[in-house]
Parts: sequence; C-alpha cells; structure tokens
Amino acid sequence: MENLVSFIVRRILIMIPMMVIVSIICFTITELQPGDFLSQYLDNPRISPEQIEALKRELGLDKPAYYRYFLWVRNIVTKLDFGYSFSYQRPVFELIWERMGWTVGISLMTILLQWLIAIPLGIFSAFRPYSFWDYTFAVIAFIGISIPEFFLALILMYFALNAGYTYIGGLFSPEFIGAPWSLAKFIDLLKHLWIPLIVIGVSGVGGLYRIMRANLLDTIGSPFITALRARGLDEAVIKRHAVKNALNPLVSIAGMELPNVFSGTIIASIVLNLPTIGPFFYNALLNHDQYLVMSFLMFIAFITQIGNLLADIALALLDPRIRIA
Amino acid sequence: MRKLLVWFLVVLSVVLLATEFFTEDKMLCSSSQPKTGGTLRLALASTPESFLLYGSLDSSAYTVIMGPLMSPLVEYHPITNEIRPGLAKSWTVSSDGKQVWFYLRDALWSDGKPITADDVIFTMQYFVMNKYARGNSVDRFTIPDEKGVNKPITWTKINNKVVRAELPSPYGAFLTVLTAVYIYPKHKLEPLIDKNDLASVNKLWLTNVSPSEIVVNGPYKLSQVIVDQKIVLERNPYFWKKDPYGNQLPYFDKLEYLIIKDPEIRLAKFIAGEIDYMAISAADYPRLKQIEVAGNAPYVTFASKPVGSTPSPVHISFNFDTANPKLREIFRKLEFREAMEYALNRNRIIEEVYNGLAIPGGGLMLPTNKAFYNPKVEQLMRPFDLKKAASILDSLGLVDKNKDGLRDFPDGTTFEFTILVQNQPKDYQQIAYIFSEELKKIGVKTNLQILDSSVVGQMFGAGNFECGIRAFGNQPDPQLRKAIWQPGQQLYYWHYSTMNRNTNPPSPVFSEMFDWEKRIWEIFEKAQIEMNPKKRKALYDEWQELYYKYLPVIFVARQMNFFGAHKSLGNVVQSPEGLPTFTVWTTFRK
Repeated sequence: MENLVSFIVRRILIMIPMMVIVSIICFTITELQPGDFLSQYLDNPRISPEQIEALKRELGLDKPAYYRYFLWVRNIVTKLDFGYSFSYQRPVFELIWERMGWTVGISLMTILLQWLIAIPLGIFSAFRPYSFWDYTFAVIAFIGISIPEFFLALILMYFALNAGYTYIGGLFSPEFIGAPWSLAKFIDLLKHLWIPLIVIGVSGVGGLYRIMRANLLDTIGSPFITALRARGLDEAVIKRHAVKNALNPLVSIAGMELPNVFSGTIIASIVLNLPTIGPFFYNALLNHDQYLVMSFLMFIAFITQIGNLLADIALALLDPRIRIA
Repeated sequence: MRKLLVWFLVVLSVVLLATEFFTEDKMLCSSSQPKTGGTLRLALASTPESFLLYGSLDSSAYTVIMGPLMSPLVEYHPITNEIRPGLAKSWTVSSDGKQVWFYLRDALWSDGKPITADDVIFTMQYFVMNKYARGNSVDRFTIPDEKGVNKPITWTKINNKVVRAELPSPYGAFLTVLTAVYIYPKHKLEPLIDKNDLASVNKLWLTNVSPSEIVVNGPYKLSQVIVDQKIVLERNPYFWKKDPYGNQLPYFDKLEYLIIKDPEIRLAKFIAGEIDYMAISAADYPRLKQIEVAGNAPYVTFASKPVGSTPSPVHISFNFDTANPKLREIFRKLEFREAMEYALNRNRIIEEVYNGLAIPGGGLMLPTNKAFYNPKVEQLMRPFDLKKAASILDSLGLVDKNKDGLRDFPDGTTFEFTILVQNQPKDYQQIAYIFSEELKKIGVKTNLQILDSSVVGQMFGAGNFECGIRAFGNQPDPQLRKAIWQPGQQLYYWHYSTMNRNTNPPSPVFSEMFDWEKRIWEIFEKAQIEMNPKKRKALYDEWQELYYKYLPVIFVARQMNFFGAHKSLGNVVQSPEGLPTFTVWTTFRK
C-alpha cells in the first residue's frame, strides 16, 4: 500500500511540469493562428480604427505574447483566475461551467451505452469466433469506426426527416426547453436523444467491441485457461475467469475516455445542435477568444492526466501483479 | 385583499391611460381581427454575448436588442424605410439646422417607471459617446463644424420630456444615425457604472444577469436565458404601440429564440414548422419552394427583390497601391478596369452561382431603395464583351509576345495577377473562378488565392493583395457607408495611399487622389451637412454615377432576398417588391 501512495504522489508531482509544458505549447499554437480577436471586426464599417485600437489596449492585445502568457499564468497561480472571455466579458471558468451539465450528461450516457453494448457483444463474439454472428458484428464495428460522426449525423437526420420524424436537433422540443422536469419532458428528451447517442457512441462501440473480443480470445488461448480446464472446472466458471482477466486493459481505456467526455464530439455536436461545450469551444477558436481556448485546453490536459492516474490506480487495485511491479 | 386589487387596477388603468400610444401603420396591421396570446418562435445563431447594445459587437445580441427589447428615439418604417417617431413623439429643427428638439412621449419602462429626458442624456453620455464602450457611436455623432474641426454633437435636457441636440453644423444623416441609438434606463444602470472606469459599462447586463434586472422599452422583456438553447422574452405590458383598432401591441405573449448554430438544422426546424419566420439562402430556396408547391409544407416562402443589408453585393477590386510597380501602373488605368468589366460575365454568374435569383450590380444602393437609388447606373454598367475587353488590353500594350497563349507586359514578362478571395461564403469563390475562366479566354493569366476569411480580412486591411473579391452590405443611407466608399477612409482598401494613418484620426491625402476621387470625397463631405433631402439625393446620385463610370471597384451581383413564414402567422403581407412585411410586434397566430 505504501508503494501505491508514493506512486500516486509521484504521479501528481509530475503533473505540474507537464501542465506548464502543455500551457506553453497551447499558447504558442493559439498565437501562431493568423489574426487575433479583433480581426473579425476589421471589415465592419461600424467600428472605427480608433475603436479597434482602444479595444486592443483594453484587452491587452497590444502587449507582446510572452508578457500576456506570464500575466495569465500569474493570475492562475495567485488568484486561481483563468482570465476573461474577450467576447462574453465574463470569467472563462463561469462560461465553461455553465455548459458542463449537458456535456457531462450526454457523454456519460454515451459511454455507459457503449460499454453496455460493446462488452457483451465482444464476449459473445470471442466465445464464438469466426461464426456468422462474429463476422456480422465485425463488419458493423468496422463501419462504425470508419464513418465520420458528423456524416452519420447528417444521414440519420435526413432519413428521420424524410420519414416525417420531427424530433431532430437539440435535446428537447422548443416548448420543453427550460420547462420544469415532467414525464412528458423526459419522454421528449428520449425522442431527441437516440440520434445523438447513436452518432456519438457508434465509433466507440466498434472500438471497444474489437478490443474486448481480441483480449478475450487471447485470454482463452492462454495456458492458465488450459490449466483451469485440466483441473476440471466448470465451463461457466472458466469463462468467468477468462472475462475477468480480459477486462484488465479496458480499465486503462476507461481512464482515457475521460477527456473524450468533454472534447470528443465537437463537430457532431454542432451538426446535432447539442448544448454542449464542443460548439462553444469551436466558436471561441474561430473568434480567437484566447483565454477561453487556453483554459479549456488546460482543462482537457488536466482531465487527461487525472484520467490516466485514476486508470492506473484502478488497475493497481484490481491486479496485484501491477501493484508489486 | 379585494380592496387592494381594485386599487391596483385603478392605478394600472391610470398608468395605461397616461401612455401616449403610437398607432401602428395599417400596412403592418392589415388584419382587423388579430388574435392575442401564444408564442412566436424565431431562430438565433448563438447565445447573445450581452444585453447592453453598447457593450457588445455581437450580431446575435443586436438581433435580440434592436427592436424586440429596446426602442430608439426615432425609427425606420419597416416597409418604406421612412423615418418616423419612436420614443420621441415629434421633433423640430431650428432654421439653421443646428439644433433639434425632441419631444418624448409619455411612455413607461417595463418596470413601470416613466421614460424621461434623463434616460436619453444618460444613454448618450455613458454609451453612445463613451469611447470606452465597445459598441459606441462616437464616430457617427462627431462631425466637422464650419471650420472643418471635428466636434461631438451635444445633448441638453430642457425639461423632463424635452431634449435638445446641438450640432456643430447641419447633419443630413442625423435622424438616420439616431435610428440605431436605443435608449437605456438610467435608474437601473447608472448605479452600476464605475465613474472612474468608463470601460466598466461593457460589463453591464451580461448573460449572467437576472432577467428581472433588465428593464426595457421595447415590445418584449427578457424572461429566461437557457444557455445555448433558448432565449425567452415575454410581452412588455407597458409597450407604447397599439394597432389601428385600439389593441395594445404586441399580440404574442411570448417570443422565443431557439439557439441553433448550424444552418442545416435551422432549415430542418423551419421545414418541420418549429420556427415561424426566417431568411432563406438562394441555394435553399428552390428546395423549400418545391416542398411548398407539393402542398405539405407548414410554411409559405417569399422571394423578394434585393432588400436590406444582407447578403452583401459582391465586388471586384484592383489594388491601386499593389507592391508590383508594373501591375500598379496598369491597375490605375481606367481603360484596364473597363476591360475587366467587359470581361465580367454577370449573366453567367447569376445563372450558375445564384440559380438566376440575383440582379447585376447592386452595389452602393439597392433599386428598392426609393430614397437614394440612381437608376442611371444600370446604363453605365458595361455589358459582357470579351472582344472589346481584348482590344482594350491590346491597346494598353498587353499582348502575347512569346506566343505562349498568355498576354505579356511590354517588357516581355507574363502579365498575371492573383485574385484574393475568402473561403466563405461559397459564392465569392465561384465568382472568382468564373471571372478567371473568362479572362483566360482572352489570354489573361490569373491565380486564385482562397484563404480563411480572417486572414483575407487582414490582408485587405494591410493592402496586401493584387485583385480581390469582397462584399460590403447595403445600408438605407449612403452616409452610413462613408467609411467604405469615401477615399481616404479605413475601408477604402483598394487605394490606401489616399489615407494618412499617422494622424489621429487618419486624414485624407489629396495628392494621391484622382480627380474623380477628390470629387467623391467632396460629395460625402457636402452630403453630410446637407439637410435638404433633394439636394442630398442629387449629390449621392452623382456619387453612384462616378463609381460606375470610374470603377474604383466593379460590382458583380446582388442576390435576391428569400424568406419563409409559418402558414399560421397573421399580418405577414407581401409588398410590391415581394418583401414580406413582418415585425415581432404586429404578427400573431391565426
């Protein structure tokens, strides 16, 4: 156990220089983007050059990049202030927070659905390899992995619309947006939700299914299963052992899923009109809303590291071999 | 309790009686038996960044504020574009044209407090003339006096209901620029302003403010903001307009903006009947019309002659100050630009790019603009004629010397130029492509440079281009486009040497101007201080002719406008130009 604690502490300490490096890279990249926040107003005859200059000073865009970077970092370290959004003029943290609810909600639902579908299917295929159903699932999984999400979204919406189905785009019918929760509202949500869940979930299902199947096939072929069989164990018990062992790599994948929860589905969310952080971030990128972009990227970097850490801890708890090594 | 209620009703009726209502035009309220109540649903591309017009430069914020939430002193008639009373029930102008008195109507804020001269003065002082406010209008309300020195227009409170504006000199577009000044409540906002930091006004009424704090004078007030999903407005019981039959406006109880970023989804929601009214693009119009003709659409579509400021009419420019000296010399020759106009196949562009749904030219003023359009420009437009274009180029010495099929400069190097165009909207690119294709037929080599719009904007702004394809929206009054079309201004980007950037504000450089440019410069200065509408029109007529004659830019085409409205909407009437008239306060659900 002592090993585990020192392992966690070490990992957390490593995160600090990591975040610094990530922030420098992100800042450099956003700086390299041509233009700045004010570029979008240059061809607007309502806005005079003096106004642009005044805004430049107000937003600090007249200062050199390194100066702005250090100012930003200093405010984070000393005041936990991640800066203001240029366009919304509010703290970026508030803006990101406002959009977190549905982002997390939809993603968690998608992930849950992915696991609920992919794991049983993977197990099913692995125990009946090279059968008709195995091949069928494999083909579907490949299609799922290779089809771009936004394209799938457009196709689904097209067919739904043509079939006269109107619960398309967004999460609710207009009259239920902002209304208090009721059974009718929940049913309306379900009517809207299935398209996003399929669109966002389908590639993940394909990937997970393939990993689960491959892992389980490996495990079934491994000597310890033969040993179990030789000892005359029940086939059901053997299967249970095989599945348990095959699940190990999936735990680390689960950790990796965490950042996807927040940033994985930007284009699909725009196409599907979902009120998640993705389209918001995309807009901020286009408008050069630098601190908003930076803070969001830092958040993703942080979450990624936390996700990996959690996965490693979970793995260590699950598998004694890793703990000892 | 009952006593209280009676007392309340008495007070309410006194208040309502006290309002000096504005009676809406019958043109907009054609139905004499409107129904009240219900919800009107419109689409919005993003959550507004602010609810203070002057603190933001966001177009979604403009949409929600200008009209639905807030009212100006004077406003445009939604159909005729004439200026008519708003919060000011009337106004008088002094004989020298330098003083204007505005008489405010007895009207109330949505919290029941009276709208007074203090609110007007407050709005002017802290927002319109505050150079730290993001959406200020200092530029529009600063004009040269008789000696040519720029001075601000000043405002004085005469009494609670009268304000006086003092102008440094007569200002022809004064009322026009006033239509964009929406009056904000002093009693709500003044306590929130940090007087030592005038940029603090930009932080007022942001998206996190409670809707009840936002006090308005428009037909609707804010009720709910559901981030990135919906903005809900509800009817303002104190709105100062009624219909010709005595009913208080607006008819709808609620106005909802659904926030939909993706245009395809907006269209899908409109087809599904979830959105009541929206503008449609030329590309989508045929499909929507098809569904409508098939008979199962919940909407009606309208095609109108070009109206309004969008979509912007596209033009082609040649940089008079481009870095390459040989090109610079050629671009500055009128004959060359004439040849380019002869090589511009407008009909093909209208057919192929706009499905036939556009008019040629359409720059500067729209034919539907009765106040300022000069129809003479239609004769001045040079028709497509490649032979003529080729012979002009020959006469300029641009002939194919080395027999490679391409025209050369007199010194033998290939004559070629790059056309800079942004990647969105798509029609700009298509026009660039057709233009270069036609030029190829007469041996002119062009290179297309298609880049992201933000980069292209910067390159134009820095004068870093050879030939460009760009568009600026039309406005009802030419004065509002002075920053573009007057030489020496910030958006006169094809001839930046006419502007001296080293002075503050930038000043014109007459030595760099052609004679016709000097005349255009003069026209804008004269028309600005001309109060007589006829004389103003004559000046702007000349300006339009000069542009089509001397071709500082070549206007290509302007799309028609398309709208769709839900079948159940009342008071959506088509004008002779095809424009459906629609306001959020006069429409109702049949």
